[in-house]
Amino acid sequence: MKYYALLVVFLITFNGKSQNKTIAVGEKLVFSASYNMSGLLTDIAQVKMETSEVKTSKSTLMRLKCTATTYKKWDNFFKIRDLYESYVNPKTLTPYLYKRDISEGGYEKFMQYKYNHKAKLVKSLKRKKRKDGTNWDENKNVTIKASTKDIVSLLYYIRNLDIHKASPGDEQNFNLLFDNKEYVITLKYIGKETISTALGSKECYKLALGLKGSNVLRGNNANLIWLTADSNKIPVYAKFKIPVGNGELKIQSATGLKHES
Amino acid sequence: MLKKIFIIIGFIAAILAVVLAVTPLSNLAIAPIIVAFVCGLLVVFISKKEQSKTKTIQYIFLMVVIALSLTIYKSIFSTSEIGDTEQLEQRDEENLEDSKDILEDIEIDEDL
Repeated sequence: MKYYALLVVFLITFNGKSQNKTIAVGEKLVFSASYNMSGLLTDIAQVKMETSEVKTSKSTLMRLKCTATTYKKWDNFFKIRDLYESYVNPKTLTPYLYKRDISEGGYEKFMQYKYNHKAKLVKSLKRKKRKDGTNWDENKNVTIKASTKDIVSLLYYIRNLDIHKASPGDEQNFNLLFDNKEYVITLKYIGKETISTALGSKECYKLALGLKGSNVLRGNNANLIWLTADSNKIPVYAKFKIPVGNGELKIQSATGLKHES
Repeated sequence: MLKKIFIIIGFIAAILAVVLAVTPLSNLAIAPIIVAFVCGLLVVFISKKEQSKTKTIQYIFLMVVIALSLTIYKSIFSTSEIGDTEQLEQRDEENLEDSKDILEDIEIDEDL
């Protein structure tokens, strides 16, 4: 009986096809990524998350764009210029096209997913550069689950969840497609916490991310993300456990938000 | 014996400090600088007690000074500004144009 009560609460809390009430077109979030080893902080890169509108002849889509750029002092050692983008339905945040164009210390890779939600199929394209400068393409068809998302649209989708209805300890699983493989990401709501950020002192939802069956995001509540506990749910701070020390993402500025805070 | 151990630890720490100070991770050089400095002091202390002279101490201190000055210099003068993004912006534009073409062919279901 208790189990069913929990299940009902769970289903009400996280309803599958929710409407987008959080993400506005023209939103721009800027973060600073740094490496933290017992208090000694080293800035590594700037991460930007932007949204814009894209019109085709038949429909209007929202473009979610994430870029990572290393700071000048790193460019001679390990230059990162990453671009991740996802084109989603602005009403439901369902992805239709995903692109990952990365350049990390001389290594270049391009991934593209074309979604076909009706057939539950993703047409994937992987492009790598050969040593002689020519491109090398690999096409694949990947079957997905109904709610499978890419990393960019998943991040935005998490922001659109009704976290205010959840109670501490609630968990939800998400299907993530990365490198042509499907993973299950577990999101756990830990509770509310007030932290000081570049946007001022904010009351936040503290969430833990985990990856099922992998060692990448291991540890108990070691990978955390803080979303402001208001209608914008801005990710203001994130912490990731790496073998030595912590990786951190801190917000620097947030503009073009949907709701006035 | 004790002196030898401190000399070895001090030397390793000093080399590590210099290496870290040169890389962009110069902030992290502070820990080995402290270790090397403490080892250096201990070696001096032991040498005085034994009334023997060791040249390696000079090298340890020299490296500590180099690492420390590099770290301090970098922390004062390095600013957190991003490098050139021209190439990234160009790829961004190209991808957007390419995406528009692809999206023309994709059927978008309003309810999904």
